[in-house]
Amino acid sequence: MEEQKDYRISFFRPTTPFSRTNRNLVIILVLIWAICVFGFQILLRVMEKPTPEKALITFEKVWGNVKDGSAVESEKIEFANSVLMVLGKSTLAAKPEKRAVLDNALSWVVYDLMSGDSLRSTFITEIENFEKQKANENLDLKDVNYLNAKTSIINRVAPLLGIETYSLKAKLLPHELKSDGLVEFKAENKEKIHSVMSLYLTHNQSVLTDTVFLGFPFHYFYTAVFLLILFVVLCWVYSFKIDRLHTKSGHFNKPSESN
Amino acid sequence: MKKIILIGLFLYTFLLNAANGVQLEGGFKVGPAIILISILVLFVLVGVFNQAKDTSDYYAAGRSISRVGSGMAIASNWMSAASFLGMAALMYGSGYHGLAYVVGWTGGYVLLLILMAGQIRKYGKYTAPDFIGDRYYSTGLRAVSAIVAILISISYCVGQFGGIGLMFKWVLGLDYYWSVIIGGTVVLAYTMISGMLGVTKNMQIQYVIIIVSFLIPLFMMTFKFDYFWLLPQIGYGAAVSDIVNGIPAPEISNLLNAFGHDFAILPSPEYAMPWDASTGQTFFQWMAIVFSLMLGTAGLPHVIQRFYVVPRARDARWSVVWGLFFISILYWSAPVFSALGKILSANPEIGQLAPDAIVIYTAQIANLNPLIVGFLAAGAISAAFSTVSGLLVAGASAFSHDLYFKVLNPDSTPKKQMFMARMATILMTIIVMAIAMLKLALIAQLVALAFSLAAVTIFPLFLLGIWWSGSNKKGAIAGLTVGLTVAGISLVYFLSAKYGWALPGQEFFTFWLGAWYFAWIGAPLAILTNIVVSLFTEETPYEIRKFLVEKVHT
Repeated sequence: MEEQKDYRISFFRPTTPFSRTNRNLVIILVLIWAICVFGFQILLRVMEKPTPEKALITFEKVWGNVKDGSAVESEKIEFANSVLMVLGKSTLAAKPEKRAVLDNALSWVVYDLMSGDSLRSTFITEIENFEKQKANENLDLKDVNYLNAKTSIINRVAPLLGIETYSLKAKLLPHELKSDGLVEFKAENKEKIHSVMSLYLTHNQSVLTDTVFLGFPFHYFYTAVFLLILFVVLCWVYSFKIDRLHTKSGHFNKPSESN
Repeated sequence: MKKIILIGLFLYTFLLNAANGVQLEGGFKVGPAIILISILVLFVLVGVFNQAKDTSDYYAAGRSISRVGSGMAIASNWMSAASFLGMAALMYGSGYHGLAYVVGWTGGYVLLLILMAGQIRKYGKYTAPDFIGDRYYSTGLRAVSAIVAILISISYCVGQFGGIGLMFKWVLGLDYYWSVIIGGTVVLAYTMISGMLGVTKNMQIQYVIIIVSFLIPLFMMTFKFDYFWLLPQIGYGAAVSDIVNGIPAPEISNLLNAFGHDFAILPSPEYAMPWDASTGQTFFQWMAIVFSLMLGTAGLPHVIQRFYVVPRARDARWSVVWGLFFISILYWSAPVFSALGKILSANPEIGQLAPDAIVIYTAQIANLNPLIVGFLAAGAISAAFSTVSGLLVAGASAFSHDLYFKVLNPDSTPKKQMFMARMATILMTIIVMAIAMLKLALIAQLVALAFSLAAVTIFPLFLLGIWWSGSNKKGAIAGLTVGLTVAGISLVYFLSAKYGWALPGQEFFTFWLGAWYFAWIGAPLAILTNIVVSLFTEETPYEIRKFLVEKVHT
């Protein structure tokens, strides 16, 4: 007798009104979930445009002249400043080969901006002295010799590049100027510098990333904050609706209810 | 009274001085060590007072946990070293890419709830292999799924042990390898003692400690650096925008970090902009990670097991709602650490920090009280411990209950089963310690591997097993084989890339079948295979179909 019953279930072919309502609810919630999670990221992808930072625009303006050696002083200063903007990015720390390209470019252009042999020779000594201090395994960042070596480089180079001695760019100088890259901008580094600069100074931006909402870039707020709120709400709605469905059908009143 | 005050003052000064200094690593830290030991002792004591009385109590907490309590237990079980340390690490290193983990590890709960939670509870088993063996009427599948559950536990634990090693390294001042050994031994001892006790009650207390230790530094740091501190989870939005646009160093310093550096950063849009080329991550990887983590969430044995501890299916559903809310509190908060860490470490004298410890370093560089930092580290260890003990219990029960008792030796006594569970726990710990020492990847990435593995193996079996009575044993075997094959290929290419062996198609497979996201293709393939094979083979037995209709979907 029992064998005649069709004991088959399938999500897409519900056999009871409850299953039908449940299926519809699940489909609606999954659609909202999928569109909000993946749909938004696809929209972000569709709308984005590779947008250069100001430093890249400056770099591209002066790079031609710097490369062929015809750059004037102001162009060299702009070149050095644009390179510093990339050297200040912490993501670069994980890529020593790319950092080496930029260190060479910066060291070479700063050395080139120095006028007079005696100044250059003092500068080389200062850089070497700082490198020696930094190589010390037990380096104390408050050590007077270390601080003096650092400050003398900043005080010498920052005014040359038109930056304030207290700025973060100035503080990068002692760490990024390398004694082995002062005299020559190596040919292989010249070849690579444009792609390194483009890589670090071009970002995928659109109105979704440039709009500020509650202090956040909008897309960041949407992904990091809103989506999590949405997930909690979706879960709440489902549990609430299913409870109501059970209450309507009198299921919770049954003594043996297991829902 | 005087004596007590004097002792109190002495202890306070001692603890304060013991952990002072701004060295990010340094030697043994007495204050954090005392906090850590106190917390572990508290967990054990709570366990002792809520001891399990029988098997049902041990595996499923007597099915008497409230919805909110169960939600806290879900959250505590979930919030591992990967959530506590790993997510901030990924955002610190890869910016927006790290948010894929935040979304993936929370969005999966929606699937888990609407597709499975209530039905799993109604099915009424104790473990995931129990369900699979029963639903697919196959001892072989039960055994294989038990082995898969153990592999998932091991893979998940490796990431946790990495976190435990890092935190013990920070507290004890030892090198990473010794820290893994000591931390692993402590976690083993803890699991052996507390695993037998009131695990679920303990998880509720662990949740409170984890979340409080995580939130206190947030309020303090956002207050200190002049962001909207009353709700740091929103207040840090301005910090993200500051990173994008840069914060110039002032002429006269006012906001300083522990090293005396200005609170300043050069414009770094790569931190917030989507799939920035400089991070080396792509749009495809973002989507694949989210998808894999979401499916994995709904397929993790130790998560599924949480639904057996509530009295009714209705409670299982509401415990997910509460669980997700409690989890989200931590996930809304983790990006704050990475954003502030990014600014605080912008000075070249600090440079790029070890990402997996960025949560602790950020609190340290922000010059918070050393005891607060110690409490934070203890919270990180608690997060890892709560998850590891749950995983080791799940792995050990998969071995002793599903493999040894149900397959290998059905006549074994409960005493013998318990012995096997303990042996399995010890063996798993040793294996996990050994793998953790290899430092194969970041914590969150190692954990993501476990998710992908769960998504291609357990998830399809549960999804189809619950929602389609047509899915049968042969379909399940075929689907599982496909899932495991995809996982195997991905792991071989991951290891070959790691150790510099060049296999054919190395670049192609490393990218498209990445170890953290191979489920994007593996899971759909496993589901499809299961469906196709089931359609062309004999129908699921009548008793199973009847049970599904009458008990699970009534």
